[in-house]
Amino acid sequence: MTNVVILNSQLHRTLRVQAGASARFGDDRRFVQVIANEFPLLAIHYPVFFAKDADTGAFYCGAMLGFDEGENLFLEEGRPQSAYRPLNLQRGPFYTAGNELAVDLDSPRMDGEAGEALFTPAGEPTAYLESIKAAMRELRDGLERTKIFIDTLMTLKLIEPVNIKVGFDDGTKRDVVGLYTISQDALRGLPDADVLELFRRGYLHLIYLMIASLKQVPVLAQKKNRRILAQSESLGLARL
Amino acid sequence: MVRPIHNIVIVGGGTAGWLTAGVIAARHQGRMKTGFTVTLVESPSIGIIGVGEGTWPTMRATLEKIGVSETDFFRECDSAFKQGAKFARWTTGAADDAYYHPLMLPQGFTQLNLAPHWLGGGGGDRTFCDAVCPQGALCDDGLAPKMITTPEYQAVANYAYHLDAGKFAPFLQKHCTQKLGVRHVLADVESVIQAENGDIASIRTKQAGEIPGDLFVDCSGFSALLLGKTLGVGFKDCSDVLFCDTALAVQVPYERASDPIASHTISTAQSAGWIWDIGLPTRRGTGYVYSSRHSSEDAAHEELARYVGPRIKELSVRKIPIRSGHRELFWKNNCVAVGLAAGFLEPLEASAIVLVELSAKLISEQMPANREVMDIVAARFNEVTGYRWGRIIDFLKLHYVLTKRTDSRFWIDNVDPASVPDRLKNLLHLWKYRSPWFFDEFDRLEEVFPAASYQYVLYGMGFRTEVEPEDNEGTQSMAARLISENATLTRQLRAKLPKNRDLLQKIFDHGLQPI
Ligand SMILES: Cc1cc2nc3c(=O)[nH]c(=O)nc-3n(C[C@H](O)[C@H](O)[C@H](O)COP(=O)(O)OP(=O)(O)OC[C@H]3O[C@@H](n4cnc5c(N)ncnc54)[C@H](O)[C@@H]3O)c2cc1C
Repeated sequence: MTNVVILNSQLHRTLRVQAGASARFGDDRRFVQVIANEFPLLAIHYPVFFAKDADTGAFYCGAMLGFDEGENLFLEEGRPQSAYRPLNLQRGPFYTAGNELAVDLDSPRMDGEAGEALFTPAGEPTAYLESIKAAMRELRDGLERTKIFIDTLMTLKLIEPVNIKVGFDDGTKRDVVGLYTISQDALRGLPDADVLELFRRGYLHLIYLMIASLKQVPVLAQKKNRRILAQSESLGLARL
Repeated sequence: MVRPIHNIVIVGGGTAGWLTAGVIAARHQGRMKTGFTVTLVESPSIGIIGVGEGTWPTMRATLEKIGVSETDFFRECDSAFKQGAKFARWTTGAADDAYYHPLMLPQGFTQLNLAPHWLGGGGGDRTFCDAVCPQGALCDDGLAPKMITTPEYQAVANYAYHLDAGKFAPFLQKHCTQKLGVRHVLADVESVIQAENGDIASIRTKQAGEIPGDLFVDCSGFSALLLGKTLGVGFKDCSDVLFCDTALAVQVPYERASDPIASHTISTAQSAGWIWDIGLPTRRGTGYVYSSRHSSEDAAHEELARYVGPRIKELSVRKIPIRSGHRELFWKNNCVAVGLAAGFLEPLEASAIVLVELSAKLISEQMPANREVMDIVAARFNEVTGYRWGRIIDFLKLHYVLTKRTDSRFWIDNVDPASVPDRLKNLLHLWKYRSPWFFDEFDRLEEVFPAASYQYVLYGMGFRTEVEPEDNEGTQSMAARLISENATLTRQLRAKLPKNRDLLQKIFDHGLQPI
């Protein structure tokens, strides 16, 4: 259940938010929507793809965090996450409603005394709240800009489906479908004028970041494999 | 001197004319630079027939090839999905008598013929359609054949379209003239000028003078202006086989904007014919196709009113005379006929537009390089097209000969052996002992109706092929596996596919992605 209300410095003066990354708080996601501004920070950790919104079919950009439903291989419970955390996870229980900031009072991040304060006792926003406001602004503008980026690529027919098949040491296989990436063939075949235009708009950089981020797929698979091995070892030990 | 074929002139701007123009122009885009032209001449005063709203799945490939966006097509032609046809009351006439002719092939069709296994009891108490294919269940549930994330023209379950015929021709016109370089001339053809060898040299129009051409495509509708009137090609009447000769058409609004949209054509047998029911997002297109030898217009109107309900009083019912049959030749001299000008059969399996597509494709692929080789191409075109008409007639008649209805002369006359083509008789005889499969009977590359279609109709209508249990022995376990795979697939698709209306609304709101 959610209970989203506009944030109010009077009503919510004492509210605290547990900002850290944890499965308990909803970070257990296989795929999370991202914006183009984040690509430089993302591409060194995560594969970045296009995917389709299940409700509208529209393309969006997302970072892949795991292979299975609810699997975020970057979570290190009890420790702050070392990899850059996508804005959509950083935002925690916050939403925008028009120009206002809203918060989900039923979020598991807000059940008690622990966590970051939103307001000083005098009712001034804390540095944490300011950082959330900045993140939300960045997300909102970024989503619009990312959409224009995607539309441009679609017009130039630069997006193609990609099928990721991986096998793990426990003998299981994963066939990840519904992801799309840059078509390098189409990119090579692009007329000069289009290439120049992509460069001038800063899109060529984003395109190459996406292509480079594909290299994170095997890294992610190794991460999962290590977990599988660790698990089976601990099971083996338990049996001894 | 070799006379190259450069200027294609199409007469008629209905569904047939614009589809043919689009298919030819798209295929020969590259030659447009070197003087190849496609001109479509259409009368500003004679309207198009404006009915014909059910297609075959081939339409997906046709539209994609001519470069149309499927999203635009859905939005601008009020199009909807069609996953086959449901035939109600054709066998016994009882209220619960119905079967599906879906568009998906039986599970594993290219590996194994499941029909003998189903006949031997391998499908349990399921109908043939339900035992071998999920689509009947999807239609029953009112589900769409894909999802909003499925790209344009791709399917989860095979599909064709229902569309608004009044909007389809203008939609194609816009695309053909703006994107494909087709020249559009609004003018009435008044006379035709022939060369000494009988070829059409040019057409003389009231508003645009004389228009010469190398190849003329007659898409002038029932009037068959060029092939029939000018070149005198005769008409082969088929009303001794297919009796229906009149249609009463009426468009029925939904009662509520949220009413479900059927994702299949519903064809309900009546006392002297049958009623079609085609669900578009905006309305249902319905009509009674009947034999005037077996029913008066008043009686037919009454039956249609019973189907549509009292609201029919506020709606306008249009009477359309139809003539079953086709030209004796389809291509003569430098003139080829497509669409109603080539012929027409009652629209029982939506075979008219698919034949337009197949003909247009054949013309564009086989486009004669010059006049000297045209007769060779023409002979082949006539052979293939003649075969197709014959096959369609057989297939339509199949729906009638299997009936057990004896409640009116129409149904009794329909099973009279004198009205059944010899080939169909032979096939029915053969099928008593061996069920049709794609190997033995249907060898043509672009067969209009595959063997699977015959299976769905035969076994949907209770036809029995005698099977010897021993004959099934070697493939029993494979058949059981395919039938159980189909049950699993059916369950999965029913769980994941959206309602037909919901998906159409989403396509309207958000569009489908091209990839
Ligand atoms: C009741 C009914 C239901 C049908 N249902 C289906 C169905 O479900 N599925 C299916 O596939 N098919 C169906 N059809 C068939 C389908 O409607 C036609 O095959 C299709 O519309 C093609 O028509 P056309 O373009 O050949 O002719 P028309 O639409 O009649 O077009 C003829 C064109 O020729 C032009 N023309 C005529 N004379 C002249 C002249 N002298 N000068 C210049 N131009 C001229 C006219 O202006 C017009 O543009 C149905 C038909 C009927 C009657």
